Amino acid sequence: MPFGKPNWWVLSAVAIAGMGAMLPVLQNSTATSRGFDIQRDTARQAKLNGQISLVESDVARLTSLNRIERRAREIGLGPTENPIYITIDEAGPAPAKVPSDYLPPVVSQPSPPDSWLRSLISLLSLTD
Amino acid sequence: MPQQRTPGTRRVWVPAAFLAIFAVVLIGRLVQLQVLDHARYASAAAQELAGKDIIYARRGSILDRNGNVLAASVDTWDIYVNSRSWQDATSSKKSTDTLAAALKLDPARLRETVTKSKAIDVLIRRDVDYETGNAIIAAGLAGVIALPNTNRVNPEGDLAASLLGFIGQDNTGLTGIELSYNDVLQGKVGRAIYERDTTGDPIPFGAYTVEAPKAGEDVVLTIDRYIQELAERRLADAIKEHRAQGGSIMVMDPATGEILALATQPGLKYSTLGSLDLSDPKQMQILNNVAISSVYEPGSVMKILTAAAAIDSGAVTPDTTYVDKGIAYVYGIPIKNWDDSVYGLQSMTGVLQNSINTGAIFMMQQLEAIRPGGFQKYLDAFGIGRTTGIDFQGEAEGIVRRPTDSGWSPVDLATQAFGQSISVTPVQMLSGVAAAINGGNLFKPHFVKAHVTPKGNRTDVKPENMGRVISEQTSATIRQMLHAVVESPGRFHPGNPKEYSAGGKSGTANVPVPNGYDQTQIASFIGFAPLDKPKILVLVKLDNNDDLKTGTVAAGPVFAKLADDILRYMDVRPDAARYVNKP
Repeated sequence: MPFGKPNWWVLSAVAIAGMGAMLPVLQNSTATSRGFDIQRDTARQAKLNGQISLVESDVARLTSLNRIERRAREIGLGPTENPIYITIDEAGPAPAKVPSDYLPPVVSQPSPPDSWLRSLISLLSLTD
Repeated sequence: MPQQRTPGTRRVWVPAAFLAIFAVVLIGRLVQLQVLDHARYASAAAQELAGKDIIYARRGSILDRNGNVLAASVDTWDIYVNSRSWQDATSSKKSTDTLAAALKLDPARLRETVTKSKAIDVLIRRDVDYETGNAIIAAGLAGVIALPNTNRVNPEGDLAASLLGFIGQDNTGLTGIELSYNDVLQGKVGRAIYERDTTGDPIPFGAYTVEAPKAGEDVVLTIDRYIQELAERRLADAIKEHRAQGGSIMVMDPATGEILALATQPGLKYSTLGSLDLSDPKQMQILNNVAISSVYEPGSVMKILTAAAAIDSGAVTPDTTYVDKGIAYVYGIPIKNWDDSVYGLQSMTGVLQNSINTGAIFMMQQLEAIRPGGFQKYLDAFGIGRTTGIDFQGEAEGIVRRPTDSGWSPVDLATQAFGQSISVTPVQMLSGVAAAINGGNLFKPHFVKAHVTPKGNRTDVKPENMGRVISEQTSATIRQMLHAVVESPGRFHPGNPKEYSAGGKSGTANVPVPNGYDQTQIASFIGFAPLDKPKILVLVKLDNNDDLKTGTVAAGPVFAKLADDILRYMDVRPDAARYVNKP
């Protein structure tokens, strides 16, 4: 049976209808997948937050006054008794310099334009 | 061929009628269920299907002024078991045994608890530590539900417990800073609503709505943990040495009203909180912070304010003299000095040095002579007789008897001048004396220096100046007069620090009872250092010390030692006479 010429309009309409039908499925699938990712990441974030709070609590416990005092005694330190103060007629040490990493970036200021007179002199100058 | 219809017989109509009636009833019932009562049944179905959980917000931390943690929250888990899923002993055996092992419980008792409970979700244990909870979740036990919660930890132990307070099971502050700043610390609880199956477990990919909790803000206190520890230790030592029933030590920055330390005894201890019997009124009192919520008669410490008022009004100067005869008659009522001594010719500085009651009455009378009613107006300006507005729950007002009160006697004004028939809270007294020595400004005492949001944005709490009470010149004069109390040629004063210039005044007052005073006493000392620009103002108060030593002898040395230790810690250069290089 001879096949007639394909009706491209009909085929296009079928293709569009098929794609239209697939679109909600794809959207649904993507949304579900993203939702799962979000739930997983939220759970992970909660877990990390919990671990952070535990670490913070450990740091606080390890830096408590009682522990510092106990550790100080272990290494032979004790409270100051009858301190002796001496006066020194010298300037104190210069304050420690802050590492450059912690300083704001240096912004180079553009130099002011030379005056026309200075420019002229520099042109006439025989030396560099 | 046309069909002929046969007329209906009773055998047809009767069943048809029954069926019709049945259909009408059925339809009516359906309309009732699905239309008229729709909302009620839909709600009941949703309740059955939907699980709702409260997600507690992470409570903010409480830090000292240097950022050291005094109270913090750590994540924990509340473990529940869905009783429906544990009905069958055989199928739930693995869950029972594993959960019991993780929580160190007896499996048989755990199972009995769950199966006998009428609740669907049975709480097994609150605040299971984070790692154990994670292990239980990872085990995937049927019917076991873990809900996130937080638990409060205090890394410094019992330090400042009476000040910090504690929270309840619902993460709400019940006392102390935890209560006063609950709105800031608590944040906002969240909710999780999800579809659940018949065993109570969430249905995978079912409807799940989360209202995320909002974490609370951190609160930075004005308290310095080291100074707090010093104050608590010195208070405990003094109470033991003088066999006192209790006491308080408060340390304040007089220039701002910031409280650097507040130690009280008896007071709350986290280590014994579990054994506290809250039905016992005596034990309930431990929950109050006596430095803020209890009043006492300040005794001779009040002479500081009397002198400040009299000098500021121009009624007297430090060098004004009068003759003390050991007794003063006020409206015919004799009032004696505390030690029955007769001091003769005295200046106003001498009145403070010797703590002469008749001298305080003289100053008050000179003030009233040029400005009637002026003495109590100055007391009002110093904040005596009203709350200071400190950021702490349960502050007492104090008692100042006034001419309009019933039972008023003009003698009251005289006794108020040296701190009797007047009641104040320790924080009121501290705040008033701070105004007398800081240049004349009354600052609101406060415990909180800043709030910090979870994102790290810090909001500083500015010191609140409530107004000028006395002139700067008067304040400088009062400092010098109080310095003369603790340091004068040929006199040793126990309240004089070794390394720093200071000023101060003691008070020893009997405890008032109905119709008089009993033999118990309150010994106190209030002092500041250094002299010119005071960095600290300290109130030491010992309640009912059995050895009956005076404020100078019992509380003075506590101030002196504290001033040396605190100022050395604060890196303040010693300025006592022997440490200053003379040209």
